[in-house]
Amino acid sequence: MSIEPRALPTPAPGAVTLDAQDLFALGRQASAAREARLGRRGSFVRSRQLLGPASWRGPRDAAESFVDDGDLAAIGGLPAARAAGIDLFVGAPEAAGAQAAAAAGLRVLLRFPYRLGETDGQRLDRLAAIAAVPAWGLLPTPVGEPYGLDTLRLFALCRLALPKVPHLLADVGALGPRLAQMAFGFGADEIFAPIVAERALRLGANAHNPALTRKEAVTLIRGAGLTACERFSDGRLEEVAS
Amino acid sequence: MKNPDSGTLEGFPRPPATDSAGPSPAASARFSLIRDKVRAGEALSFDDGVALYAHPNLMELGALANEVRERLHGDRTYFNRNLHINATNVCEASCRFCSFARLKEGDPAAYTMSHEEAWGRLRARVAADDPITEIHIVNGLHPGLAFDYYTELLAGLKRIQPSIHLKAFTAVEIFYFAQKFGMSIEAVLQALRTAGLDSLPGGGAEIFAARVRKKICDDKSDADQWLEVHRVAHRMGLRSNCTMLYGHIETAEERVDHMLRLRALQEETGGFQTFIPLAFHPDNNALMKLPGPTGVEDLRTYAVARLLLHNIPHLKAYWIMLGIKTAQTALWFGADDLDGTVQEERIYHMAGAATPQVMHPTEIIRLIQNAGRTPVERDTLYNVVAEGAALVSDKPFRREVRRALEVVS
Repeated sequence: MSIEPRALPTPAPGAVTLDAQDLFALGRQASAAREARLGRRGSFVRSRQLLGPASWRGPRDAAESFVDDGDLAAIGGLPAARAAGIDLFVGAPEAAGAQAAAAAGLRVLLRFPYRLGETDGQRLDRLAAIAAVPAWGLLPTPVGEPYGLDTLRLFALCRLALPKVPHLLADVGALGPRLAQMAFGFGADEIFAPIVAERALRLGANAHNPALTRKEAVTLIRGAGLTACERFSDGRLEEVAS
Repeated sequence: MKNPDSGTLEGFPRPPATDSAGPSPAASARFSLIRDKVRAGEALSFDDGVALYAHPNLMELGALANEVRERLHGDRTYFNRNLHINATNVCEASCRFCSFARLKEGDPAAYTMSHEEAWGRLRARVAADDPITEIHIVNGLHPGLAFDYYTELLAGLKRIQPSIHLKAFTAVEIFYFAQKFGMSIEAVLQALRTAGLDSLPGGGAEIFAARVRKKICDDKSDADQWLEVHRVAHRMGLRSNCTMLYGHIETAEERVDHMLRLRALQEETGGFQTFIPLAFHPDNNALMKLPGPTGVEDLRTYAVARLLLHNIPHLKAYWIMLGIKTAQTALWFGADDLDGTVQEERIYHMAGAATPQVMHPTEIIRLIQNAGRTPVERDTLYNVVAEGAALVSDKPFRREVRRALEVVS
């Protein structure tokens, strides 16, 4: 006795909005684009965030200090952030802060909000519109709960549409560690997450804590088939020893 | 936007024929041989399976698994409307990966539903006019319950809704009943069938390798006993599912061995409908030091399973355990089924699953369509319940379901 697969109709041409060639070819294209610029390396960085005057989240000896656009006013603006030692500005592309931060000599990590229902064309138009911002990196940020495939396609589009933006970061807090890792196969090259010495179990109020240990970050990157590297304040990437 | 000739997006550079992110020449040659076997419909070997697990190019692996998935099912992606009942978590077994079980009544968080409580779950769905077609029942190995607790549980559910399909009791439970009540496996299944049992779920298989079972679940039925229960069930005409718990202490070789033992039984009986890889959740159990599988490991396991298990028709991405985002992505790495609406699930949520406990059909349909697939509502035996225009949601999206979905990881 054996089970015969049911006779199933062939899908009508055009009925499928996302075909295999599309998805897997996009992944290969985006990976090739990332590799052409950065090699087969994926990275993480120990960073800390300035939340308010003299209020920090993250280790004192972090390699990178950043401020989010939303916290800038409370801190006292860009000059105060610079005085506090900030070297990375994180904000939306339409915010005046992004241009001003770039003009002030800070590296700019642009958030790129996306939501379900947008077409590739709409997204490509929006990406083209921000191509002029001198960004160091792009941080896709879902509005609402992201879908897996939609997110992976978006990562590939970002990598391919903005070849001059050096870095594409996967936000563990917004995507979850599983999807963030998959994004490495679609053009991402760095994890955006707090790196902690020891992570508490993700239970109860801690269930959605995006923090990763160094070992977890390395595991995610290596599991994606890349060489795991730690990025330092001078931009240097150092391969993590096995 | 898509260039149909190249499969690339217009305006973007064409990828190199073999990008440098690709595998070594030896791995490529091996993969090429495997691809030829898959396309010729040949069964893959143990070594093929191990090579697929080691293959460095996930996109290549996924594309091949997707070929098989589409050959079997086209774009069709299945789901059902179901209800989970976990009637008791009191369990004699001490599986180290389990967060659900409690050793005895009275232990913190231990519970055993009365029949009325369990039946009340179904009555509530009937009262809500929710057209569920299946109840999935899995429990702990309770040392103090009589056999007629289980038969009456099933019979009562059938009295409430005679058409409901009862997919109940893992092979581990069936084997436990046989030992505890001094019955043959066939006699247990026959009695349960008389009470209303329609098919068996696939749980309890974990990993068949004795080395692993000794370390994680050494006091419940072993691999041969698990397989024997399904063999007997299939011989009696009952269909069943099969599972593999991955991402803990097992090796790739042990996963492949597990799948090939399932494939061999399927060759013999043809009774398995669906293979369900279950991602290990490390919270709240004795293995909480382990990290659990990553997203790439999930996709790789789905793809390898689709390629190795050529004779098991369906591959289910169980969203409760995988998370909704990974489950959707798995629909392009071999999976053709998302399971169902579930309504209430305890086993994996006690292990740290951050998914909601219910997904409305509207959301499942949207998830499938967003993946570029065609949703098909099925019953437990994969008969089509609704597709196309008939799939239009019969109810407004409830506020509480929306709230639950907002907290999904």
